[in-house]
Amino acid sequence: MARGDLRVLLRVLRVPALTLAALLALLAINVALGATLPFRNVWIVEAGVTACMVAIVLLVSMDILEETPLIRLFSSIGFFWLLIMFGMTLTDYAYR
Amino acid sequence: MAEPVGIMLAEHFSTVTQQRQAAKLGLWAWLITELLLFAGLFLCALIIRIQHPASVTLAATHLKFWIGAANTAVLICSSFTMSGAIVLSRIGWRAGMLRFMLATAALGTLFLLLKGFEYYQDYVEHMVPFLSGPYVLAHDQASRLFVDVYFITTALHGVHLITGVSILLVLTWQASRPHFLTRHQNRIEVYGLYWHFIDLIWMIVFPVLYVLNR
Repeated sequence: MARGDLRVLLRVLRVPALTLAALLALLAINVALGATLPFRNVWIVEAGVTACMVAIVLLVSMDILEETPLIRLFSSIGFFWLLIMFGMTLTDYAYR
Repeated sequence: MAEPVGIMLAEHFSTVTQQRQAAKLGLWAWLITELLLFAGLFLCALIIRIQHPASVTLAATHLKFWIGAANTAVLICSSFTMSGAIVLSRIGWRAGMLRFMLATAALGTLFLLLKGFEYYQDYVEHMVPFLSGPYVLAHDQASRLFVDVYFITTALHGVHLITGVSILLVLTWQASRPHFLTRHQNRIEVYGLYWHFIDLIWMIVFPVLYVLNR
């Protein structure tokens, strides 16, 4: 591989490589917390870390930030539906 | 190194941009239905957890936590290789793109092999309540609910992954032919969305089933 090709490869792979590093680091946090259970209610931190991982995949890997407003709206609506589904179901269980 | 990149305009579209956006929007519409499908299963796991916390913790300790963690790392790496294929397709670097696509398929296959080994371990340890053999947690009937949801969710994800690897191999074969990127670069982008989505679902499956219930 020529030096110029390598330079191009490193440039275009910069964002995917940073994404990979961030996701692996967050996974390592979740695995460490899950394996050691260092304090009560550790699940709150684990859920937060998972939410960060999902956000990174959606915003960076799936390019939502660079999509048209219609596609951004579409993807947001999907998660809004989930909010309704989880919210209404868990409200029911919380007030029984 | 690079070859021209583009999309062959289908007759029912006015512009290439319109065609590209329509393909992505269509895939997003489908991904949202998939998201709702998996979300129903996540909600089931959550409700079982609320109603039977002790049984779920007992069942979750029998899951193969480290295989699940390794599989998550494998899928994160496959997401990187898929992103690599996409960015190289944008600059017309076909040889590199093909290598990244094959690496993605290989990592997807590795995930499936690890999952198969995990299922085998579950079978050996009598953690498969829906089979006719003995069930190691038979004294705790509520644990069966969680274990059933575990198998349904992971098997459904596995079916998506088998489909994903199959489509990816066909796409790689198509992309290995000359002028593919000149006419169909869009296919790599749209397929990449599906692969990242499979990865995203597993990123939720792993904590919901393996981590949060320990």
